[in-house]
Amino acid sequence: MKFGKRLKQHVQETLPGWRNMYLNYKGLKKLVKLMSSSLEYGISEDEFVYLLDNEIEKFNTFFMEQEEDFIIRHKELQQRIKRVNENELSSQGEYEEEMARTRKDIIDFHGEMVLLVNYSNINYTGMTKILKKYDKRTGGFLRLSFIQKVLEQPFFTTELVSKLVKECEATIDEFSPAVVVAEEMTKPAGTIVGEGIFRNTIVALLTMEEIRKGSSTRMYWVTITKKLTEAGGSLKHRPQFSSIHLISFLHSSKP
Amino acid sequence: MLSELVQGDLVTMEAQHALSFQRSGARQFSNHGAASARSAPLEDKYPKFTNPQPNFTSGAVGHIFSSSSGMSSDFHFSSVTSHTSLSEKAPFISQSSEILQSTASSQYMKETNNSSWCTDSLPDFLDYPQNTPIQSSNLEHGLMPSEDLLDYPQNTPIQSSNLEQSIIPLEDFGKQNDWQDWTDQLINEDGAMTPDWNDILIDTNIADPAPKMAYHVGGSSTNSMQAQPLIPQSPGEICVPLNSTPCGSGSQSKPRMRWTPELHEAFVEAVNKLGGSEKATPKGVLKQMKVEGLTIYHVKSHLQKYRTARYRPEPSSEGPLEKNSTSVEDFSSLELKTGLEITEALRLQMEVQKRLHEQLEIQRNLQLRIEEQGRYLQMMFEKQCKSGMDKFTAPSTDLPSLQANPNEPGPDPVVGPSEEGPSKSEPGVSQSAKRAKVNT
Repeated sequence: MKFGKRLKQHVQETLPGWRNMYLNYKGLKKLVKLMSSSLEYGISEDEFVYLLDNEIEKFNTFFMEQEEDFIIRHKELQQRIKRVNENELSSQGEYEEEMARTRKDIIDFHGEMVLLVNYSNINYTGMTKILKKYDKRTGGFLRLSFIQKVLEQPFFTTELVSKLVKECEATIDEFSPAVVVAEEMTKPAGTIVGEGIFRNTIVALLTMEEIRKGSSTRMYWVTITKKLTEAGGSLKHRPQFSSIHLISFLHSSKP
Repeated sequence: MLSELVQGDLVTMEAQHALSFQRSGARQFSNHGAASARSAPLEDKYPKFTNPQPNFTSGAVGHIFSSSSGMSSDFHFSSVTSHTSLSEKAPFISQSSEILQSTASSQYMKETNNSSWCTDSLPDFLDYPQNTPIQSSNLEHGLMPSEDLLDYPQNTPIQSSNLEQSIIPLEDFGKQNDWQDWTDQLINEDGAMTPDWNDILIDTNIADPAPKMAYHVGGSSTNSMQAQPLIPQSPGEICVPLNSTPCGSGSQSKPRMRWTPELHEAFVEAVNKLGGSEKATPKGVLKQMKVEGLTIYHVKSHLQKYRTARYRPEPSSEGPLEKNSTSVEDFSSLELKTGLEITEALRLQMEVQKRLHEQLEIQRNLQLRIEEQGRYLQMMFEKQCKSGMDKFTAPSTDLPSLQANPNEPGPDPVVGPSEEGPSKSEPGVSQSAKRAKVNT
């Protein structure tokens, strides 16, 4: 699947507030097509750079806004889990329930952060592609220098978010109950993976896997994604993942 | 994504080689790549700004790191260059819009760098056609794409704050002063090709005006500064937007601060000292924190977020755990079973997310590496051109992926007889010396 299509699909399925925040890949690609080395048609390089800079600004603003939120929420969640654990007054049942809720929140939070890193990656990739196309089209040398600038941008420097992600993983590991997969667990009639963070991460992961494994398994992944989409139809308004069980393909998606 | 990226990229072999590094290489590289990509600019920035800028009306000592749109041919685009030019425009950091604008205009006059478009200019362009009595259908058709094209960026908060700006900077752009001329030219040029602009430039994303404002807390623009707190903690960063730096954003000149956990810690401490998030005021917190470069707007918006996070915690924690009534009905009444299933589902969710993150990190490291090699190649090329070397010997084992052509003849056409046998006409010593030189 070409990048443009994949991006479009991703954007359609991503969290609602994020849809406007991605690279205008299609538009820029078409713009580049109009250009030629003589620069008679289309826009000049400076104008093109201006547009790209605008895109970068968009990414930066969104990214930093999210990042700020993450920093705040991360700290709150850490404190919350501490509070729950230190709460001597609650009964075992209450404790379990609170822990479960907090754990769930942390996991959803973790997912959201990963999706932001994914966002960064997709936009970066799109940008390099556009720049490559531009150079190819106009015979210019914009890409190499421009990409240096991109590498330093806030939206691309995702180290902090990654760090928070890892901290969440550590927290979850620390506070996870022993995993007991009961044999007699019955699987629900339909798989329920709503729109939301989990669904997004699955789709994103599948997309990446698809790229890496090549197109031989493409039909398989497409089928799975379709299943997800169909299953999720009844839960359009769930902002967070709240599914109860997953189909077994998730097991098979592991190495 | 990655395979497409690398295949057509600089060196195909390099790509294949790079992919084989996926797991093992990624880890070692994560430090290296990240360091090389980041440490240089960071190190450049921080030492620079120990001297307070006397013009800073906001009293900020901060240093401005800017990745402005300076399109120099020098591809070692360093933020140092950009920020030194910016530091001359110190007043832009001021929160006073008038100073900002007038300085911007005057500074912009001097701007030789044509590529520094002001964000303001295009929105004005958008306004223009609507105001003028241009009637030709051609023109309208031609103008629409620009609207569509610019509609997209205009959806972002940055643009919305710039609508009242003057178009002075555009004149400095060096091209047509007259909007009409510009559009005429565009249309005439396109006439021959008859592009379907509407089709081309319509944004494929779903236009959803509502959410964008969610990220536009306090109407802040994206001008930024770096904050050097007096307390020795990792400062937040203030990030300068790429092309609107001198133009600012009028009355909404709230530089965007890039928060860090340490800065947030300081914030929380200050808030607690002032009696909690409800009692604390932005002004009080700002004073308490004593962080240079931090403005009341930063604090205000951050406080707002903080309050929201505390009093409306993660949405799912509201109400019972099994919020999803549809799915619950499918289940047996045995709570234990449901509990186990939930746990299992969560565990799987975590696994998927972890995996995605892992892969993203790998991809990022590869991307950094690719660019690093690109820079290296460029550097080699430039060195070679400059020194006018007779031969160009490929780098040695530092970059294994480039070993495809170890004895590539140099591009210098003057080389002459040594072209064919680079190692022959040179004494062995100087050859290895050259190789050593090349590798440093």
